[in-house]
Amino acid sequence: MEAPPVTMMPVTGGTINMMEYLLQGSVLDHSLESLIHRLRGLCDNMEPETFLDHEMVFLLKGQQASPFVLRARRSMDRGGAPWHLRYLGQPEMGDKNRHALVRNCVDIATSENLTDFLMEMGFRMDHEFVAKGHLFRKGIMKIMVYKIFRILVPGNTDSTEALSLSYLVELSVVAPAGQDMVSDDMRNFAEQLKPLVHLEKIDPKRLM
Amino acid sequence: MLPFVLEGGSVSQMPVAEGKSVQQTVELLTRKLEMLGAEKQGTFCVDCETYHTAASTLGSQGQAGKLMYVMHNSEYPLSCFALFENGPWLIADTNFDVLMVKLKGFFQSAKASKIETRGTRYQYCDFLVKVGTVTMGPSARGISVEVEYGPCVVASDCWSLLLEFLQSFLGSHTPGAPSVFGNRHDAVYGPADTMIQYMELFNKIRKQQQVPVAGIR
Repeated sequence: MEAPPVTMMPVTGGTINMMEYLLQGSVLDHSLESLIHRLRGLCDNMEPETFLDHEMVFLLKGQQASPFVLRARRSMDRGGAPWHLRYLGQPEMGDKNRHALVRNCVDIATSENLTDFLMEMGFRMDHEFVAKGHLFRKGIMKIMVYKIFRILVPGNTDSTEALSLSYLVELSVVAPAGQDMVSDDMRNFAEQLKPLVHLEKIDPKRLM
Repeated sequence: MLPFVLEGGSVSQMPVAEGKSVQQTVELLTRKLEMLGAEKQGTFCVDCETYHTAASTLGSQGQAGKLMYVMHNSEYPLSCFALFENGPWLIADTNFDVLMVKLKGFFQSAKASKIETRGTRYQYCDFLVKVGTVTMGPSARGISVEVEYGPCVVASDCWSLLLEFLQSFLGSHTPGAPSVFGNRHDAVYGPADTMIQYMELFNKIRKQQQVPVAGIR
């Protein structure tokens, strides 16, 4: 079963519950440059950072209604970097005034044989994709502007095709539970990106 | 630095001395080490928890329930080691423990089978020796001896040196080559190899009956 909903309690069972606060939007390909330009101006001064990642989504089915989802991500352009395993909980329902989508998240760095290990645990790969784009930071906020590529032959990351003619824009913060002022800061930052991109709280359930 | 590690020391290989308790045998060993000239350098702890696939997951996956071991080693305080016996292993950061809590509907921890070894670390030139008392709950079940030869990363290059060193303080109780090497004598040794040896040691100790205080093998 999915873990019980994480309450606003910052600590459960001796560990701090970390939450991901998320706002999403998109821009068409031809608007990418202007967005990147504005982000370079607004965000922390650093070398422009690009990434090329391969993400695989694994499911563990039990007798419970909903399977347990884990995301395994590896860098395709940085050799030797650890794999990133991520658990994301259900979005917290609640305050309609809260500006961002909030969900429990657990991030784990792992060694390379992650997929073999997950399969041994009983997980099966549901889908995979390649993400290619740019990364910016402003304080604790992370802004990603990236394109999703469909993998044509399972396991072969060389033959991919773009999923759409646009870039996905994500503004996210990972912070301990209970820090709602984070979403206010995110909303204020998102205001500065208008009208180039409209970042909003998108409930994944509404899309299904 | 990648150590060469050997475990001697399940009850059958490092038997509790005749008429002595686990505690006394550990003291005999550590005294021998100190006479050799080894220096105490703090303590160590290796622990292991066992998880098995919950019944609710078994049916749909169509596979026999497997045991997964989640271990920690004080030598690598920021890491967590997850292993399947004769199967793949994973090294992760300590958030893996948090993930196991989230997974409790799918993997159940057999609380009673938590096993750990604790003891002192000794440094003798390039050798690091850890002698620990293996406990399950409140009872002492055996002794673990771990020896690391710091400068070498390939097992076959220093096996004989290690054997000689072991004989100097374990005498006739020196064990044979660990199965972890098998046909991988020339492979680079890593922390996972150490944890696999501990897992095998713990499994062996779990299967044995409790050591009576009188200390018969």
